[in-house]
Amino acid sequence: MLTAEQNDELTQVDAGTPMGEVLRRYWYPVAFTRELAEFPVKRVELLGEFFALWRSPSGRYGIVPEACPHRKASLAYGVVESDGLRCPYHGWVFDEAGACVEQPAERDDTRFGARVSAQAGVAEEMGGLVWAYVGPGPAPRLPRFDTYVMEGFRDIGWADLPCNYVQIMENAVDPHHVEWLHGRYFQFIGRHEGFTSPASFAKKHQKVGFTPFEWGIIKRRVLEGASEDNDDWKVGHPLVFPYNMRVGGGGVHQMQIRVPINRTTTRFMLYTVHRPDEGYEHVEQPVVPDYNIPVVDEKGRHVVNYVEGQDIMAWVTQGAITDRTTEHLGRSDIGVAMLRKMFREQMDRVARGEDPLGTIREEHERIDLPCEKDKFHAGAQFALDFCDMGSTRFSPMLDAIKKIHVSAAERVASGSASGSGS
Amino acid sequence: MQAPPDRRFAADAEAHRRDAPRHCPGCGAPPAIVTEFWEGTARRFYCSCSGCGWTGEITPTGDVAVGHEPEH
Ligand code: FES
Ligand SMILES: [Fe+2]
Repeated sequence: MLTAEQNDELTQVDAGTPMGEVLRRYWYPVAFTRELAEFPVKRVELLGEFFALWRSPSGRYGIVPEACPHRKASLAYGVVESDGLRCPYHGWVFDEAGACVEQPAERDDTRFGARVSAQAGVAEEMGGLVWAYVGPGPAPRLPRFDTYVMEGFRDIGWADLPCNYVQIMENAVDPHHVEWLHGRYFQFIGRHEGFTSPASFAKKHQKVGFTPFEWGIIKRRVLEGASEDNDDWKVGHPLVFPYNMRVGGGGVHQMQIRVPINRTTTRFMLYTVHRPDEGYEHVEQPVVPDYNIPVVDEKGRHVVNYVEGQDIMAWVTQGAITDRTTEHLGRSDIGVAMLRKMFREQMDRVARGEDPLGTIREEHERIDLPCEKDKFHAGAQFALDFCDMGSTRFSPMLDAIKKIHVSAAERVASGSASGSGS
Repeated sequence: MQAPPDRRFAADAEAHRRDAPRHCPGCGAPPAIVTEFWEGTARRFYCSCSGCGWTGEITPTGDVAVGHEPEH
């Protein structure tokens, strides 16, 4: 349990609040690269604020708060020009640094551009997503986590969920839910809808462990029939502070992204890379495809016959901002308690003027995160279960993805594997 | 509904509240409305008084008085 004050503090995202200031020290994906190729300016909501994001004709990205400093018309309806974004209303122009470089209705000697700069953030492209940093400068580097930069076949499933992001993050340090929500509950739904749910998801947890590390918290588990020598314990996988979780296994690599759009809306994204350890032959993708994952059906009931749909049901039914003043945690929820402590510590760090956990200022090529390969001790079956039982089922790429895993397995079986473990 | 105040320009809002003229130069009553606008480096307050009907611009100049010379 928490007090109402602590719950309030933990779940804030707005500027000027302790947690809102922590969240403004990180980069977030705010658009798909293909969106700005289709139309070069987009209205973006992030951390309870609106922005105009644009792509210049030369391929650079800019982001400024939506309201024009002149008389507040939306720059998200701006004209994209070579030297910046032109307000549609009276034509003021702001460059990528936010400087007001034109006030066409003013005479040379009555201009005051220097007083009305638009306080730009920074935006960059990586892995089919446009990322933005809107916090205080100088901006840290955009962390190049393995999933976003590795070779492989990608797709991105996503949905905007009507709840606060913290309860979604608490799920990332809650290993026990797997055997119930994706085990027993999945079997129950399968029995009624006529399918068989994956047996490995129902394996019983014997032991769970959590280790803080430089990017967040590593979660470990020992399942029935396995030991501490299995990847699930030895390697585990991490919650990547403050809004991601890295998962995978069997040639599937995934970042589960939970962007706090505002206090009670979270953009949930499943950024997935299919790259079998052996036998993979690369398939070029000019555009990274994205697709909507279903949240509710036409009757307004949650869609619960796939893994992430079950998670979404749990997160959303906890309430827009779950009431932590009347919850009842047990020993098995110790990871949740550890995560709350981590959030609290970062508020103190930022208040002291320090960088919070998981910000990086050094130039780097790639950040490899620990992640088990032999997931649930289930071998290659994990990849196929992953395709059929998870959100990939709704991907327009489903057939291509299955083919990648099946042909890699065939190449390995026939002894002609060319790819190697990565 | 009113949009929330734009945090970027809180200092300008504060300066306006502090510096906007509080008395009509004609009759000394509070002006009916004072609209601030900027012209180059100058801040100008466009004031009107519903008491005596005075309307005009008030501009803080600071210590320095600026004149000009005809071209020569
Ligand atoms: S409101 Fe943007 S130029 Fe006037
Ligand atoms: Fe007057």
